[in-house]
Amino acid sequence: MLNSLETEVSPKSPNPLIPVSGQTLAGFGVAAAGLGAAYLIGREDAETGAIWLLALAFGFTLQRARFCFAAAFRDLFLFGSAQNMKGVLVGMAVSTLGFAAIMYWLVSKPGSGSLPHEAHILPVGISVVVAGLVFGVGMVIAGGCVSGTLYRMAEGYVTSWVTMFGILVGLAGISLTWNWWWDHLIINEPKIWLPATGGLGYSGAVALTLVALVGIYVLLTWWEARSGIYSPSISRKVTGIPGFTDRLSHSLSSVFKNGWPVAIGGAVLGFIAVVMYTIHMPLGVTGELLFLSQQALGVLGVNDIVMKGLADMGGCTGLISDGFINHNFAVTIGLMPGALMGALFAGEFRIRYPRVIRRYFQAAGGGVLMGYAAGLGIGCTLGAFFSAIPSLSVAGWVFGLSLAGGAFFGTKILKRLG
Amino acid sequence: MPDGEIKVLDVRGEICPYPMLITNDELDKKQPGVLALDVLTDHAPALSTIPPQALKRGYEVEIDEVRAGEWLVHLTKS
Repeated sequence: MLNSLETEVSPKSPNPLIPVSGQTLAGFGVAAAGLGAAYLIGREDAETGAIWLLALAFGFTLQRARFCFAAAFRDLFLFGSAQNMKGVLVGMAVSTLGFAAIMYWLVSKPGSGSLPHEAHILPVGISVVVAGLVFGVGMVIAGGCVSGTLYRMAEGYVTSWVTMFGILVGLAGISLTWNWWWDHLIINEPKIWLPATGGLGYSGAVALTLVALVGIYVLLTWWEARSGIYSPSISRKVTGIPGFTDRLSHSLSSVFKNGWPVAIGGAVLGFIAVVMYTIHMPLGVTGELLFLSQQALGVLGVNDIVMKGLADMGGCTGLISDGFINHNFAVTIGLMPGALMGALFAGEFRIRYPRVIRRYFQAAGGGVLMGYAAGLGIGCTLGAFFSAIPSLSVAGWVFGLSLAGGAFFGTKILKRLG
Repeated sequence: MPDGEIKVLDVRGEICPYPMLITNDELDKKQPGVLALDVLTDHAPALSTIPPQALKRGYEVEIDEVRAGEWLVHLTKS
């Protein structure tokens, strides 16, 4: 079924922890460039500069925690492991509290009919289910979701560049077919916001969301126990009591060198999402990529694309801002130098080519599916799931469950492909 | 630890979930089982996916970074 890919490498090679000063230096260079860009962008528009800075932290965190939504869903079915999904749940719990406070500040009476500006409260219906299923299959086949693809591009994965090409193609596809979905389905699908539903109010909606997140956490723990999966931290050899410099270098290593526990990564991402929402909007990358794919369509002569209803939709793709360097640009493009910085400081950057040609086709195909579905779902795992559930939106849950379904089918396909 | 050469399974270039799938396949295909295996990977997430699978199969795990962004995951039957 699977090809074993074996080549003989001397197993007796010494294993010193070689300090990669070149990569560390390059890391400082990227950090300086990233901060310099923040200064230049911030001089034009302070908010965009601040979002760029947060995006650097966002990309750095994704890279350090090896945060992967695709793995979060896929590994549940492939190995019975919930390690990544638990990190996602922690992040959403943190965001839920912060988002509730921000939304309360924006709309203090949830029953009044108005929805909080910029919250990711999206239509609930068949379109979300289709989007989740297709996205779930795509991310498993491609080996990463949209945000995962962005930060792995920065880490030097060549297949991720191919996946991004596929995503842009998929987004071009939804640009040309969106109006069909709008006319037949989305126009009639309601936006369901928990605080304004059934007299729940903010406290009821937050309580319900947190209880559901904790409930799923417990369920996943049972799932892991059933699968016989246990993920202990790999112990390191201890030799004597460490001195001051050892302790200091240990602290630095745990931030810059060793991968972060995924739950810590999730909590930090949740926190970054809250700060970003206080500045303008929750996390999301689909809007910028949709914009870029439409620019590419324009170059090919396909102009004047009108996607009905999308401008008033909210979520990732709702905001059409002026100029090239706007908030969407800052969060999407800014995460890449952040991730590159993380990879360089850890000495992990390298150009990686897949060893099987078939992986390029998987990357491209999975990318097309994800791009199309991210457009249809008005967001990817980030915008329509990780930012939507804390927005107390029912669509986030529907998208999440559909992603799980898609990932389930995706793993079946993956096993077939070998 | 058996005498002689330990087989190195080179999964460099593969991304998740393949490093782990290929490792599992290698561990499962031989009966009564592999006593020791070194997996060479350049995909950091594999460092947290291979160990739980190996532990489940009764292996001890140790990880060494052999060079920048490249790790050897030592698996030994305990």
